[in-house]
Amino acid sequence: MHKHSATEITTLFTKGEISAEEIAKNTLARIEHFDKDVGAFLAVHSERMLKKAANLDQKRKSGEKLGALAGVPVAIKDNIHINGTLTTCASKFLSNYKAVFDATVCSLLEEEGALLVGKTNLDEFAMGSSTENSAYQKTRNPWDLSCTPGGSSGGSAAAVSARFCPLSLGSDTGGSIRQPASFTGIVGFKPSYGRVSRYGLVAFASSLDQIGPFSTTVTDAALMMQVIGRGCDKDSTSIHAKAPDYVGSLSSSMKGLKIGIPWHFLEQLNEEVKQNFLASVEICKKLGAEIIDVDLDILSHSIAVYYVLATAEASTNLARFDGVRYGVRSPKATNLEQVYDLSRHDGFGPEVKNRILLGTYVLSSGYKDAYYKKAQQVRTLIIEKFKTAFTGCNLVMMPTSPFPAFTLGEIQDPLQMYLQDIFTIAANLIGAPAISIPSGFSNKNMPLGVQLIGPYMHDKEVLSAAFAFEKACGFGSKIPQAFDKEISV
Amino acid sequence: MTNIQYDLWQPVIGLEVHIQLNTKTKLFSSAPNRFGDEPNTNITDVCTGQPGTLPVLNKEVLKKAVQLGLALKSSIAPFSRFDRKSYFYPDSPRNFQITQFDHPIISGGTILADVEGVTKAFAVNRAHIEDDAGMLKHFSTFAGVDYNRAGVPLIEVVSEACIHSSKEAVAYATALRAIMEYIDASDCNMEEGSLRFDANISVRLKTETTLRNKIEIKNMNSFHNMEMAIDSEIKRQIRLYSENPDADPKTIIQGGTYRFDLEKKETVLMRKKEAAEDYRYFPEPDLPPVFISASFIEEIKKDLPELPHERFKRYTEQLFLSPAAASTLINDRQMCLYFERAYATCPHAKNLCNWLIVEFTGRIKDSGRTLQAIGILPEHVASLVNMIEDGTITGKIAKCVADDMILSPGKDCRLIVKENPDYQPLQDTSSIEALIDQVLSENSQSVTDYKAGKTKAFAFLIGQVMKLCKGKASPIMVNEILTKKLQ
Amino acid sequence: MAHFDEKDLIKLMNLSRIECSQEEKEKFYTSLSRVVDYIETLSEVNTDGITPCNHILETVSNVTREDTIGDLLSREVFLANAPSHVGGMVKVPPIIKLTPS
Repeated sequence: MHKHSATEITTLFTKGEISAEEIAKNTLARIEHFDKDVGAFLAVHSERMLKKAANLDQKRKSGEKLGALAGVPVAIKDNIHINGTLTTCASKFLSNYKAVFDATVCSLLEEEGALLVGKTNLDEFAMGSSTENSAYQKTRNPWDLSCTPGGSSGGSAAAVSARFCPLSLGSDTGGSIRQPASFTGIVGFKPSYGRVSRYGLVAFASSLDQIGPFSTTVTDAALMMQVIGRGCDKDSTSIHAKAPDYVGSLSSSMKGLKIGIPWHFLEQLNEEVKQNFLASVEICKKLGAEIIDVDLDILSHSIAVYYVLATAEASTNLARFDGVRYGVRSPKATNLEQVYDLSRHDGFGPEVKNRILLGTYVLSSGYKDAYYKKAQQVRTLIIEKFKTAFTGCNLVMMPTSPFPAFTLGEIQDPLQMYLQDIFTIAANLIGAPAISIPSGFSNKNMPLGVQLIGPYMHDKEVLSAAFAFEKACGFGSKIPQAFDKEISV
Repeated sequence: MTNIQYDLWQPVIGLEVHIQLNTKTKLFSSAPNRFGDEPNTNITDVCTGQPGTLPVLNKEVLKKAVQLGLALKSSIAPFSRFDRKSYFYPDSPRNFQITQFDHPIISGGTILADVEGVTKAFAVNRAHIEDDAGMLKHFSTFAGVDYNRAGVPLIEVVSEACIHSSKEAVAYATALRAIMEYIDASDCNMEEGSLRFDANISVRLKTETTLRNKIEIKNMNSFHNMEMAIDSEIKRQIRLYSENPDADPKTIIQGGTYRFDLEKKETVLMRKKEAAEDYRYFPEPDLPPVFISASFIEEIKKDLPELPHERFKRYTEQLFLSPAAASTLINDRQMCLYFERAYATCPHAKNLCNWLIVEFTGRIKDSGRTLQAIGILPEHVASLVNMIEDGTITGKIAKCVADDMILSPGKDCRLIVKENPDYQPLQDTSSIEALIDQVLSENSQSVTDYKAGKTKAFAFLIGQVMKLCKGKASPIMVNEILTKKLQ
Repeated sequence: MAHFDEKDLIKLMNLSRIECSQEEKEKFYTSLSRVVDYIETLSEVNTDGITPCNHILETVSNVTREDTIGDLLSREVFLANAPSHVGGMVKVPPIIKLTPS
């Protein structure tokens, strides 16, 4: 069953060929058997999932209308709330925090019959590119357990890659869905900013965060978008325009499509990644796309812009974690100052502290104009450059990551870790839809991915082009060998 | 100590007023906006700063802000936005306040206030929307935090430093409160904290053009206390400068936050001036900007009630009320509404006003009740005044009738007059003539005096006639007939 | 631009309420200085006359809601996550009676 896509599972369930209970039990058995090696999950909601599965089976039996994701197991990144269950954000600070409401995306998923499996591991508060910053455990790449699955949504990526479930949700602020997707050989989609509600997502950087799907096929990602791509009254940055038919718009051809590639910006590519990228470009050409050159040299500044803006927003978003209303208060605190200082000292990991300090710095008086305001201006320039590029092409194509997955512990220098995001950050800065699709393997048989970026609110076009690419080469259907085994319940 | 020459100094005062809006729900959270409930019972996930929550702007707040802008004749910004203001304190659910820093919704404006009979115009610098913090309750071994108030919408109105006395400050504050009540934007209850004042005070020699250092007084919880606090602080500063004439003024007053001690009746230092706190303001990314169109403003304008200073103008220029009487009405909204209702059936504004704010107010106060509660209909007060004006009863009788109205609230005064023979107006010419004849015969000296040119005698004779008839005769008729008889 | 120095770090720690040991301070100082130097590169970009991107959504503005009471958070659920509470209030150590700035 682990080979089935979400689309296949819901079809089988709806037809009555498999019960929700069976699906749930199978999922739980696989996790039970394999996750000790991967460490994708921080919490598995077995009881809850089985209960929901039983209800779903009852629903189908009594002929009630079933949702678009009925019977599909979905894993949720542990910075997204499921009411009444722990949301830890992989931080010690929130080790005891129980969500007091459902994230909009989780409500929508359950309304459509999805079975929420549990919460997956991440870099603490979504800050990182390898999931190594989790306060609880390491997550390993199913393709090579000595490697990271990428980050920050490493757990959600690994869960799908190892076929624990066909779908999962992650969050993407600077590439945290796309980069892990490319590291683990699956599809990862970051929707246009505002397309998916952020209500219930613990905020990292408010103007950059978006929730998005991990899947093994583009069709599944489109199906997920159909369910979660809705306006939300509790999120003022949410877009209420009706979502198009994502699944119905998927096309196997790229005929008539113009794809822009920033060749100059990509000059310094690692050889392996370069070869794979060029091969991917050839596939697009064969599918009928016209390749044009675009100028996106400005992206050499995108990391700096990102680390000013994201950390500035994060420094205020994380100020609420003070040990007063929730979270772990330091038992050593004897006065108010200590409640703040000690709780935050004990609760936050070093990378989180780094970013809070940096974010505070770029907003502090005397520096705000030089850093924060400047970065906001360069952000405008980046938006303008992309707008210009999109006058001549429908999509921009780039590799997802400068390297395939690196080994755990390999990158110690924060700055070097930040540079991982060089190709993914732009889409967050401009709010554009962007997808990473499997594009092949490295010499060490580690997955590689390419990225397609579309103009704002052109999610449908991005998914469609990705579908064509996937159909032409099908790298996403490969399952990591260690996990390509059926587990009996 | 040599005499301090207070009149050489000019106080310079700026007021910052925080007004809680009386919307049903909070600013960014849909929790109830209510005072006095059990702690933490009017909360949502948003106003307790739960992770994963986002602010959503209450449209009623925008409406009231625009109403205020119109009332102050301010500039209403076509583009405004919200900003984060960062500081750590337990009453702040997110440890940042959402406020408006460099693009407030309102800029400029004027508050017209009556200062001891003279209408003055005070300049407003700006007004903006922000959310209130929760409440801290202090105990000896701990502090308790209640988030009921966290997220309540506030409008902060900042004046220019154009107030020069405590009386002006109170007048400004009173006028602003009246405006907020008129547009029904706030309960303006200082005791409950829906109206809060901070004053920035400095003094300078009248000959100086630049400003000296100022201090801030917070937590003045009544107009009376505010007046005392400001007066006390002005004196304190002048005294300090006068006692140290050779010192650098910047060292005499160095800033700081003060409170007014009710027992000592003087301002007391709470906190020395620290290095300016770095709030790290930046645009709130969770809230899109606010664009106020001209048509939106027009729509709000249509629903805007007559504002206090417009009403003041109407009262003084069209109804010919004295500024003092007009002010009294304006500043008491309940009384003003009552007056308007009465005025609808009684065109004699001046007399009506006097009867309401002097005669009836005094009687109601003495009875221990309030205008709202006593149950005397405004139409009846109007009726009473009408009866005086058309000569049905005299002013003297009217006072008795008013006493009866207090005793039997809700009873129509016309009925009261009808039922009491002593109140019956004497309008029969022959009866009046008979009375006058009697008075004339009993007061021949006065008649002689009057004929000799002493006009005072006439008034005396009128008085005697009224006394005789116990005030029931129409003064106009008495006057007419007496004049004729004396010719 | 003035180089990031240790005084800056201490000020930042105060502002962001993050306490550190001396060893941690040194580590942060090293990594932060490097990142600050890196973001300095932004000064190379010509941004004369460019408006800062304060809101990414160009077409969205005036997002409001009706003034009606929504789903409340029950006090019980709220306090269940509180490290310490008493009498229905969140409890913190005693505070010298100051109003915040």
